[in-house]
Amino acid sequence: MIGFLITFIKGPLIWISFIVFGGGLIVQTFRLLKLTQKKETRRIVPDKAFKPPTELSKKERFLRYLMSQRVNPLALNICLVLVSFIFHVCLIMTPIFVLGHNVMLDTAFGISFFSLPEQVTDIMTKFVIAGAIIFLMRRLLLRRVRIISTVYDYLLLLIAVAPFVTGFMVFHHVLNYNTIILLHVLCGELLLMMIPFSKFFHMVFFFISRFMIISEHSLGNPKRSWHY
Amino acid sequence: MLKQIEINTDPIQAILKQNRKEIKFGLSMCAHCSLCAESCFLFISNGNDPEYMPSYKFINSIGKLYKKKGRVSKQVLEEMRDLVFEKCVLCTRCYCPFGIDIPSLITLGRDVCRTQGLFREYDR
Repeated sequence: MIGFLITFIKGPLIWISFIVFGGGLIVQTFRLLKLTQKKETRRIVPDKAFKPPTELSKKERFLRYLMSQRVNPLALNICLVLVSFIFHVCLIMTPIFVLGHNVMLDTAFGISFFSLPEQVTDIMTKFVIAGAIIFLMRRLLLRRVRIISTVYDYLLLLIAVAPFVTGFMVFHHVLNYNTIILLHVLCGELLLMMIPFSKFFHMVFFFISRFMIISEHSLGNPKRSWHY
Repeated sequence: MLKQIEINTDPIQAILKQNRKEIKFGLSMCAHCSLCAESCFLFISNGNDPEYMPSYKFINSIGKLYKKKGRVSKQVLEEMRDLVFEKCVLCTRCYCPFGIDIPSLITLGRDVCRTQGLFREYDR
């Protein structure tokens, strides 16, 4: 029974988790887009008075940018934004460019991404774990975060960081290698399957809301707006 | 003084049913990061009181109603009125890093309160 479970976790469940991840992302993205609709953008300022930002000098544009940033909540929390940015970049890049994963890809399919040096991915893993600890501390210590936190938030943080903690333990051969690698695979599969159906879906929603939905903070030339 | 009325759950449930997807999406996407706090001028002008955070306001108004399927006591609804009418002016300046449309969700909270005869109290 245990032998079957181990084979299942290391074999079919990996395929299942990737299918659930990919399929789930597509389905959830369509469900999100159904909550929005295409909308014609309206310009409030009359055309003659309107000076497009491109006609401004670089200095003027920079000053305007600075003026807009003085009320940007992200600029007011710049430390948290930096921690969050490093955490997310490392969270996504590490599993793709870590040597161990690419060796497995190469053995199985004969193709792989380029690999980062193991020392670099080790540091990136440490960044992810450190970021998670900072988020946890923030959630525990800051009243404004604690007041809206639920058990689910702590659980999600644990699920997000578990593959990295176990991966770190595998790399440094902490505790029993075979048990931890099994746990690492299982945590990774769980995380992959949860991404489309949990708060982790902000991985897609973030980009859709920034580039496709009209708002004060959107980028590019979005054309959609919320239904309601 | 407001007229004392009993809670009629039918109109509440109608609003919840009509906007189910939007409410569910907003609630499921909020990562409870509290980055929206500083975008609310009322939060800043009230000594950083967390009850003025946009996320707190929508989670504890329409979010609470959604989770309890509209079955709440009058006292809870009155607390919600304070959140959506007294602690929010719907200036629509709240900023969510993910892009949740918080003002729309607070508006739904106001809609629910109005169906029960709960409005802003100007003579407080």
